[in-house]
Amino acid sequence: MNHVTTTEPAVEVCDLSKTFRTGWPRRRAQPALQGVSFVVPRGAIFGVLGPNGAGKTTLLSILATLLLPDRGEARVLGLSVTREAHRVRERINLSSGSASFLWSLTPREILDIAARSYGLGGRIRRPRVAELLEQFELTAHATVPYNELSTGLKQRLALAKAFVNNPELLILDEPTVGLDPDISVRIREQIAALRRARRMTILLSTHYMREAEQLCDEVVFLRTGKILAGGDPATLKREVLLGDRVELAVEGDGWRGVAGLPGVLACTSDAGRVQVIVDDARKRLPEIFRHLDECGVPVSDVTVTEPTLESVFIELAR
Amino acid sequence: MSTLSAPIVRSASPDGTPLRRELVKVSAFFLRNWRMTHRNVFTVFEIVFWPIVNLLSVGLLITFLGAEPGTVVFVLVGTFALSTVQVCQLDVAYAALFDMWSKSIKHQLVAPIRPWHLVLGSWLMGLVRGTAVFALQAAMSHWVFGVNVLAHGPGPAAALVAGLLLSAAGVGLFVSTLLMLFGLRAEVSAWSGVSLILLLCGVYYPVSVLPAPLQTMAAGVPLTHFLEAFRAHLGYAPVFTAPLLRGYALAVVYAAGGYALFAWAIHRARRTGMLLRLSD
Repeated sequence: MNHVTTTEPAVEVCDLSKTFRTGWPRRRAQPALQGVSFVVPRGAIFGVLGPNGAGKTTLLSILATLLLPDRGEARVLGLSVTREAHRVRERINLSSGSASFLWSLTPREILDIAARSYGLGGRIRRPRVAELLEQFELTAHATVPYNELSTGLKQRLALAKAFVNNPELLILDEPTVGLDPDISVRIREQIAALRRARRMTILLSTHYMREAEQLCDEVVFLRTGKILAGGDPATLKREVLLGDRVELAVEGDGWRGVAGLPGVLACTSDAGRVQVIVDDARKRLPEIFRHLDECGVPVSDVTVTEPTLESVFIELAR
Repeated sequence: MSTLSAPIVRSASPDGTPLRRELVKVSAFFLRNWRMTHRNVFTVFEIVFWPIVNLLSVGLLITFLGAEPGTVVFVLVGTFALSTVQVCQLDVAYAALFDMWSKSIKHQLVAPIRPWHLVLGSWLMGLVRGTAVFALQAAMSHWVFGVNVLAHGPGPAAALVAGLLLSAAGVGLFVSTLLMLFGLRAEVSAWSGVSLILLLCGVYYPVSVLPAPLQTMAAGVPLTHFLEAFRAHLGYAPVFTAPLLRGYALAVVYAAGGYALFAWAIHRARRTGMLLRLSD
């Protein structure tokens, strides 16, 4: 999954904080981000993960220049999101799962108006709109009013709209939220294909761990506005000490010595099946087999399961 | 996505001169309002139904009251003026309202547009609609009541229409500012904002009948002066001197002030998170 082409950061976030103040006359302070820092390399798909209310949308909105932070600094493609917001907007785009457009306009008109918003003249705009309609399989629906489109088509239109300016950084805020599984799979395939085709940086927020695992080179976990952990998914699993799960079908009690082998984090048994948690199954499995062989314990079945981001998330959320 | 293997159009930079690019951005909002206008029944009502109903009811009332021809023109011109300002300012307010109704404002403002692209494009559509309303009402009143707004030449009528459309920009910007500050709770201001100045600016009566404190307030409303300037050609002496000059000066000041407020309101919405709440 590593398509990163350069180490120059696409996004640099340092000590970013945001508190919303609501209510009148007594204002209630609601911290949404608290001292968030991370770096996104160019060309990466970077996942911002967390449960609802974790601060994902707040973070992405600041990077998209839609929201001003209270404290800290964020730079997108080397530009400050607060002081050089207009220049940032020329080079990024945003699509969200909850995107909505004017109800009477057709996909062709929505894309045309979006392209005009970027100052694209007719010579570039017309072919680009036509190609986006074609590539996102919207041509057959190009003249249907927005409010008559299906949810899947609306989502594809939102994604197509995010490409009108050929952005260097694409921000996707929960792109598959509320979609049927088959449509979600297609959208994920599209995102992966788009990154491969255009080598753009993608910032993706989601609370679907499988989506992040499938797409992201790196992730950060947010909860109550703070980063709990971050890194590439494999490293994260190790850092959280979840390890790989090795299940062995054995006979007798000779297996008990396995618990003392290096790299073994836990060892339990239930009805003839021994469950061993190790830091790295590929590294530890030969030692386990050697030990069992020396102890004369026959092994009739072995299953190795890697932890998922989902289990990392559950562990972090505790 | 069958053909995603190649980038679509490789150029990321817009074509044309900087001025052309700015005009293209303005055209986005003109076209948006244009397309929404001719596809939605309520916008047709705004241009045709309400102005005509208003004109006919007011015209028939003063005819029933046996008003002199000069008085009929006096009152009907006030009616034209109010409808023209109302329709034109609505288009400016639609710059914010359409995005709020469709919850698409964050997708609009993530693009590199300035508030003036939004306002100018929408106001240009307002010029088209406002002029259409004035022309429609003028034609209707000529046909039904024999009132000719061009009786004193096209100059006074053109000066009036230009003043009304410029005034509408200020009103629309003020409404848009309220929308950005308070969201759809301020929606009602788009339709009632103009009514606030109805009492003051002498739409149906001369400003001279107002008590002195209200006359002072009326002096601060551009529409007062544009109506006085036009009615001076009908023989009604203006209360204030140099009405056209005052009217244009005030309208420009309100439009500039309204723009500054609107730009500040967008900035504030980015700070408070209103922009995101309006898109949820």
